[in-house]
Amino acid sequence: MTRLGLLRRFPSVEIAWQNLGRNRARTGLATLGVIIGVVAIVSLGMAGAAIQQQANTNLGSLTNEVSVSSGADSDEDGVTDGQVDDIRSVVVDADVVPQKSNATTLSTRSGERTRVTVSGVTRADVLYETSAGVAPERLRSGALLSADTAAELGLELGDPVEYDGTLYRLRGFIESDEGFGPGGDELVLPVSALSEQEHYDTVTVVAEDGNAATDIADTLEAEFNDEDEEILSVTSFAGTQEDINSFLGTLNLALLGIGLISLVVASVAILNIMLMSTIERRGEIGVLRAVGIRRGEVLRMILAEAAFLGIIGGLVGSVLSLGAGLVLFDVLTGDPMLVFGWESVRYLFYGFGFAVFASVVSGLYPAWKAANDPPVEALRG
Amino acid sequence: MAQTVNVIEIENVVKRYESGQGVVEALKGVDFHARHGEMVTIIGPSGSGKSTLLNMIGLLDTPTEGTVHLDGTDVTDFTEDELTEERRSKLGFVFQAFHLLPMLTAVENVELPSRWDTSVDRRDRAVDLLERVGLGDRTTHTPEELSGGQRQRVAIARALINKPDVVLADEPTGNLDQDTSDTVLTELTRLKDDEGVAIVAVTHDEQLLEYTDRVVELIDGRIQS
Ligand SMILES: Nc1ncnc2c1ncn2[C@@H]1O[C@H](COP(=O)(O)OP(=O)(O)OP(=O)(O)O)[C@@H](O)[C@H]1O
Ligand SMILES: [Mg+2]
Repeated sequence: MTRLGLLRRFPSVEIAWQNLGRNRARTGLATLGVIIGVVAIVSLGMAGAAIQQQANTNLGSLTNEVSVSSGADSDEDGVTDGQVDDIRSVVVDADVVPQKSNATTLSTRSGERTRVTVSGVTRADVLYETSAGVAPERLRSGALLSADTAAELGLELGDPVEYDGTLYRLRGFIESDEGFGPGGDELVLPVSALSEQEHYDTVTVVAEDGNAATDIADTLEAEFNDEDEEILSVTSFAGTQEDINSFLGTLNLALLGIGLISLVVASVAILNIMLMSTIERRGEIGVLRAVGIRRGEVLRMILAEAAFLGIIGGLVGSVLSLGAGLVLFDVLTGDPMLVFGWESVRYLFYGFGFAVFASVVSGLYPAWKAANDPPVEALRG
Repeated sequence: MAQTVNVIEIENVVKRYESGQGVVEALKGVDFHARHGEMVTIIGPSGSGKSTLLNMIGLLDTPTEGTVHLDGTDVTDFTEDELTEERRSKLGFVFQAFHLLPMLTAVENVELPSRWDTSVDRRDRAVDLLERVGLGDRTTHTPEELSGGQRQRVAIARALINKPDVVLADEPTGNLDQDTSDTVLTELTRLKDDEGVAIVAVTHDEQLLEYTDRVVELIDGRIQS
């Protein structure tokens, strides 16, 4: 009743639907072409998105950081307090965290020993994320330790660790970073713990985002260095990310291009099938025209047939591609659910849209031809 | 008045086909008319121009010369879209090969010419017409589930769905045996009387002449009188 009620208002669509049921094999083959095209577009697009996502995860939080250390032409063996002040005065809207580094061996009462990097920082909360405990606003008395190291040594929150004859209480564990960059076994202490070192080893500037980081790096370069004198060595990863992104963008376009070609092939198949089926039904369409069905109505009927092929193919193709996407994301990023992110799920809409669009475009010529065939000619056969 | 006026009137119609081998003159100045409630049959040898004339009457083709009047209106210079409107509202067709859509049921085939006119629901009239041609119990059957005579009766019901003024039939009994032809022709003439339509038929079938009011003979593109 609802099918009758709704479809009866659109006779071209209803009859188109019934026509598709007449030759199931042909309809199936045309749909299969569309399905392959959609799966090609969507899964290649999703593969690109997965690769991009994975690359971004690997670069991680590094992309908005600028790392400053003593340059080749500096008279000092580190970044001086004065230089830190200079950096602060040049950089706006970013956190400037000077840092001293060393290394030590941690040991426990049970005799476990491990080598760790020691970082003395003023603002631990800016640079580190803790999986347990908290990164204190200003680390004055406590320590942070890599979660992995803590597990290895059997240390818990509140346990003391010793550095340079002083005991520090563990206030938090640092989450291990999956990407490259700082990570590994690291003990974070208040900067005062490394007071025997006069200068800072590195100064990390944490900006809003990658673009801001690039700007800051450029400003610092201009401020401290010139063509043949490098006082401070300035490193930013934002540029690297841009390069990687632009490469991945190109790769993505290439993948999509391959997908599009398969959809073009599918639409040629639809053109062929629609043409065959209208030629086969020439007499029948002539009868429709003879009994007073308008040219526009015949046109719409055949376009609706083509659109149905696109819609069915697009839907089935989308479902299959989503399955392929789940597998792809599982393999490439380890988390299949990431496929539902807009960056990849949008290809489902693109694929479906292109399928319907390409099918309707392919149906235009056969529909136009059938609608304008003079009924006498068509009836003569 | 309405009974005497010609619903279809064709004057001095010439139809020329130009093909690679030269010009074929299928109709060489033909006059023809039919009234409401009248059945006219066109006979003549093969190639004499019967189908060509019927196509002119049915507004499926336009004459090279001459005029065509339908229901008092000169339709000679109508565009294809205007002719389509005329066919939809004033004409019905019955073909030798039935030409029913195979995926539609009998009743859906009958209402097909009115299907795109969504403002009216012709389902009741379609069922009524099928009942009148004796197919009241076959409304939901598809053409392949019907016999030849039954299919042609569905086609007759389809020709009448839009309450036409003229029904055109090219060899309506050409694919039927004698008994089936009789049934079909009986239905056709009864509906002609009920609905007051004019019927113009083309045939080789002597049997059809028993049902007809007037016979027109065409030889080599000219009416014989
Ligand atoms: N489209 C066309 N192009 C060229 N010649 C045509 C065309 N249609 C019909 N003719 C010619 O016109 C003449 C009349 O044809 P028509 O089909 O009207 O004959 P008919 O009387 O219906 O014959 P039959 O009894 O065999 O059906 C024939 O000589 C035919 O070859
Ligand atoms: Mg003929």
